[in-house]
Amino acid sequence: MAEYIPILVFTAVAFSFPIITILISKAIRAGRFDPVKAEPYECGIVPASEAFDTRFSIRYYLIAVLFVVFDVETVFLYPWAVMFKKLELFGFIEMLVFLGILVAAYIYAWRRGALKWV
Amino acid sequence: MLHDTLLSTLILTPGAVGLVVLLLLPRQADSAARWLGLLASLATLALAALAWSRFDPANPGFQLVEQRPWLPQVGISYSLGMDGIALVLVLLTALLQPLVFISSWISISQHVKGFIASMLLLETGVLGAFLATDLFLFYVFWELMLIPMYFIIGVWGGERRIYAAVKFVLFTLAGSLLMLVGILYLAYLHHAQFGVWSFAYGDMLRLNIPMGAGFWGSPQLLLFAAFALAFAIKVPVWPLHTWLPDAHVEAPTGGSIILAGILLKLGTFGLMRYNRPLFPEAWEAATPLFMVLAVVAIIYGALVAWAQKDIKKLVAYSSVSHMGFIILGLFAGTVASTQGALIQMINHGLSTGALFMLVGVIYDRRHTRLIEDFGGLAKVMPLYTFAFLLATLSSIGLPGLNGFVGEFLILTGAFAEHPLAVALAATGIVLGAIYMLSLVQRVFWNALVHEENRNLTDLTWREALAFAPLALFMVWIGVQPGTFLRLSEAAVRHLIGG
Amino acid sequence: MNMDLRADLLALLPELTLTAGALVVLLAGVGGGGRRHGGLAVTALASVGLTAIALKIAVDVSEAGRLFFSGMFVLDPFAVFFKVLFLLTAALAPLLSRDYLERHDYRPGEYHSLVLFATVGMMVMASGTNLASIYVGLELMALSTYVLAGYFRREVKSHEAASKYFVLGALSSGVLVYGLSLLFGELGSLDLAAMAAALGGAERTPTLLTGMALLACGFLFKVAAVPFHMWTPDVYEGAPTPITAFLSVGPKAAAFAIFLRVFLGGLEGLTPYWVWLVGGSAALTMIWGNLAALTQDNVKRMLAYSSIAHAGYALLGLLAGSELGVQSVLFYMLVYLVSNLGAFGFVILLESRGYAGETVADYAGLARRQPLAAFGMLVFLLSLGGIPPTAGFMGKLYVFAAAVNAGFVWLVVVAVVMSAVSLYYYLRIAMQMYLREGQEGEGAEVLAAPWTARAIGVCGVFVGIIGVYPAPFAAAARTTAALIGVTLP
Repeated sequence: MAEYIPILVFTAVAFSFPIITILISKAIRAGRFDPVKAEPYECGIVPASEAFDTRFSIRYYLIAVLFVVFDVETVFLYPWAVMFKKLELFGFIEMLVFLGILVAAYIYAWRRGALKWV
Repeated sequence: MLHDTLLSTLILTPGAVGLVVLLLLPRQADSAARWLGLLASLATLALAALAWSRFDPANPGFQLVEQRPWLPQVGISYSLGMDGIALVLVLLTALLQPLVFISSWISISQHVKGFIASMLLLETGVLGAFLATDLFLFYVFWELMLIPMYFIIGVWGGERRIYAAVKFVLFTLAGSLLMLVGILYLAYLHHAQFGVWSFAYGDMLRLNIPMGAGFWGSPQLLLFAAFALAFAIKVPVWPLHTWLPDAHVEAPTGGSIILAGILLKLGTFGLMRYNRPLFPEAWEAATPLFMVLAVVAIIYGALVAWAQKDIKKLVAYSSVSHMGFIILGLFAGTVASTQGALIQMINHGLSTGALFMLVGVIYDRRHTRLIEDFGGLAKVMPLYTFAFLLATLSSIGLPGLNGFVGEFLILTGAFAEHPLAVALAATGIVLGAIYMLSLVQRVFWNALVHEENRNLTDLTWREALAFAPLALFMVWIGVQPGTFLRLSEAAVRHLIGG
Repeated sequence: MNMDLRADLLALLPELTLTAGALVVLLAGVGGGGRRHGGLAVTALASVGLTAIALKIAVDVSEAGRLFFSGMFVLDPFAVFFKVLFLLTAALAPLLSRDYLERHDYRPGEYHSLVLFATVGMMVMASGTNLASIYVGLELMALSTYVLAGYFRREVKSHEAASKYFVLGALSSGVLVYGLSLLFGELGSLDLAAMAAALGGAERTPTLLTGMALLACGFLFKVAAVPFHMWTPDVYEGAPTPITAFLSVGPKAAAFAIFLRVFLGGLEGLTPYWVWLVGGSAALTMIWGNLAALTQDNVKRMLAYSSIAHAGYALLGLLAGSELGVQSVLFYMLVYLVSNLGAFGFVILLESRGYAGETVADYAGLARRQPLAAFGMLVFLLSLGGIPPTAGFMGKLYVFAAAVNAGFVWLVVVAVVMSAVSLYYYLRIAMQMYLREGQEGEGAEVLAAPWTARAIGVCGVFVGIIGVYPAPFAAAARTTAALIGVTLP
C-alpha cells in the first residue's frame, strides 16, 4: 500500500487548495454587500432575462459537436504522422478506414444540412 | 413395421389430429371438427386395443419398447414402453376419450374447434405420460397436459371458470416444477455415480440414493418429497385437494370426466411408477404419513360430500374420498392391495366419469345442479334413473359391480399390516353408501315438487351410447375382474418384489 | 508484419463489411432517399447477409486459435456463435421495424444504420480478448442504442427512455472502467490471458477484489440484473417497440458474451469471490423480475420485467461455469432471442393505443377475432414461460441442469418456483386472448404489417424446431463452449 501514499497526499492537496484559497479570500476581503454586486455581469448592460430563460440556437450545439468530431480527427492524425514509418502499411490502412468513416460522417452531416446556417 | 412404432403412433395420433383441427380447419367447421375428433379418438382406441392384443401379461417388464436418442449429450432419449400397469390405464384413457366427445356433442357449442383440439392434445399428453420410460420425456408429456386443461376449464367452464383455471394451473405447476428439480437431481446423481448423464427410467433404478440423516440431510427423502408433492397435488391427497372442487365444478362436463377419470390417475400412477421403486426406503418412511392422510381423505371427503347441495360438487368430493382408498392401497404395499388400487383407479375412472357425464345430462336440461331443484325424476326419466343408479352402486362398491372388487382387494390386502387404517377406511365405505344413496333418494325418489321437471326428456340415444360402454365395463370388471387383473399382475408383483 | 496485417484484416472482415453496410444505409437515407422504407430495410438486410458471408470467409481462412491485432481480437467458436446470434438479431430488427417506422413516419436511414452500428459493437465485444477492445465494442453498442431509444423524438416517453438509458448507462460504464482500471493496477495488464496468468500468484488484495466487484456490477447492469435493473422497465416501455425488442436480446446477449469471457476466462481465479456476488444477484433477479412482472398492466413493461427475470436464469449457467454451464448460457440466449423477438413482434402488430400504451386488456378476445395471431402469441408466451414442447423449456432445462450439476440446487429451486410464478403473468395475456370475450370495438386489431409478420414467422419456426428437436442447436452451443479457457472437470 505504501506506493499509494503519494496519491493520497496529492488528493489531499488538490482538495484543500480551493478550500484554503476561498477561506483566505474570505478572511482578508472587505465584506461590504451591495445589490448591484449580486447581479450577473453582462458587459455593463442590465440583464435582459433570467439565466434559465435565455435561448440559444440549437445550431451552436451542432457546430460544437461537429467541431469535436473533426478535432479528434486532427488529434489522431498527428501521432500517426509521427509514427508513419514505423507503422508501415498497417497504419496506412487503419488510417484509411478511420478517415473513410469520418468522410462518410462528413457527407452525412453535410447532406442533412448541418453545415448550413439558415 | 407398426410393431416398432405402435406406441408412438398411439400417443401421437390424437395430438396430430388435434393440431390439424386447430390449424387447418376453417373457423366455422364445427361439425367436421366433431367428427374428426371422434374418429381420432376411436382410432386411438383401436390402437390401444391393438397394443393390448400384442401385450404379453406374463412379462413383467416394458414391452413394445421404442428408443431413439433425443438429446444424447445429456442422456435424454425418446423412449417408450408399456407394462401391465400402463396398459390398463392406457385402455381407460382410450375408452373415455370418445365417450367424452359423444357426450359433449351438443353441449359444447362455442369454439368447438378449440375444444376438440385441446381434448386431443390432452390425450396425447396423458398417453405419453403413461408410456414414457425416460423421466425427462415423462416430464414433457406431464407439462403438455397442463395447457389444454387450462383452456378446457377456462374457456368452456362455468361462471368462476377463470379463477378455477388459474388455481388449477398454479397448484399443478408448483408441484411439477419441484419434480423437475428432482428429475435433474437424479440425472446429476447418475452422472456422479456412473460418469454419464441419463434420464432413463431403467438407469434410475440402479442408482444408490443415500438416505442420510434427518429430512433436510437426506437426498432420498427430499427427492421422494419432490416427486410425491407433484403427484399428491394431482391425486389430490388431503390437504392439497382444494383446487379439485373448484376445477370440477367450473369445468364443462367433458373436462370433468377427463379430469376425474384420467388426470387424477396420473398422480397415483406416478407414485406407483416412480416413488415406490426409485425411493424404497423413503417410501417405507413415508408410509405412516400417507396412511394417515389417506384415511383423513376418505372420511373427510365423504363427510364434505354428504354436506353438499350441488350434485357435481358432491361427486367431486366423493373423488377425494375414493382417491384416498387408492392411496391406502398403494402404501399398504401388498400385491393384493396394489392390484386393488390399480383396479380401483379404473373403477373410479368409470364410475365417477359416468356420474359426471350423467350430471352433465341433467345440467344440459335444467341448467342447475342443485339437489333441491330435483326430486321424483324416476317417474319422468326412467332410463336416466337406471343409469344413475348403476353408476352410484358401482361407485359405492356393490358386490357384482366393479367398485366392490377394488375396495375389497385394497382392504383385505392392507388389513394384515394396517388393521386400524382399514377399520377407519371401512367407515368411509359406509359413509359413501349413505351420501350417494341419499343423493339418489332426493333426486329420483322424493315427490316431484318442481313443475319444470315434469316434462324432462329421458336419455337420448346419443347420451345412452356414451353411457353404455361404461356400464358394460362396470359389469364386466364386477363379474370377471380376472380379465384385467391378469394384465397387471406380473408388473405389480415385480414392483412389490423389486 | 505483412502477413499479420492480412490475417488481421481478414479476421475483421465481418465487422468491416457491416460497418460499410451501415455507412451505405446512412448515406442512402439522407436527402431524397429519406423515406424509402422498403429500400433501406432491404439494404440493411443485404448488408447483414453479406456480413454473414464475410463471417464464413473469415472463419474459413483464419488460423484456428490465433489472436489478432496484437492479442486484442479472437475469432474462436465462442465469438462466432455470438456473432451469428447478433446477425440473426440484426436481420430480424429491420423486418420488425419497417412497417412500424412507416406507420409512425420516422426516417429509416439513421435508424437502420444505428442498429447495424450497434451490431458491429456487439460483434467486437464477442471477439474481444482484451478489456480495452471489449470496452470499445461496448461503447459503440451503447452509444448507438442510447440514440435508438430516443429515436421517436415526438414521443415524450421515448425522450424519457433515452435520457434515463444514457445517464444510467454512462454511470455503469464509469463503474466498469473504474473496476477495469483497478484490475489493471493490480494485475498489470488488460489482456485476459495475461490477467489470468497474473492472478495465479497475485495476492487477493482489497483493491483487486474491489476492481473485480466493480467490473461485475458494470456487467450486471448491462444484463439488467437486480439490483442494477432500475433502468430497464422505463427504457423498454419508452423506446420504440422494435428497439425494445432489439435491446432486450442483442445487447443483453452481448453483455453475457463478455461476462462469460471475462469472468470465466480472465478472472476465473477469483471464482470463490464473485460467485456469491453473482449468485445473490441471480436469485434476486429471478425473484424480483418475476414478482414485479405480476403487477404490470402495460405489456411492454411486463415483458421488460420478464426479460430481467430471464437474465437471472441465464446467470445460473454463468455460475455453473463448467462447459455445460457455458453451453447452457449460449443456448439460452438463442432460445430467449427467438421467443422474445416473436412476442415483441406481436406487440408491434397489435399496437393501437397510441405510443407504448398497450395494456393486457387490449388482448381481450383476440382469439375470436384473430385466431392465428392469438395462437402465435400463445406459443411465444409459453416458450417464455418454459412450457414443453417449446424452445423455452429446452433452454431452461440446460441452464437448470448445469446449475444442479455445479451444486447450486438452492438456486435452481428458486428458479423453478419463480418459473411457476412467471407462468401466471404470461398466462394472463393468454387468458385475455382466449377466455375473455372482449367488448365490441374494444381491444386491439392486428395491423397489416407483412414485414413484421415475416419476422414473427422466422421466430416461430425456430421456437418450434428448437422445442421439438434441440439437439443440433445444443450441439452447436456445445462445440463453442470449450473456448474461453474454461477448465473442464
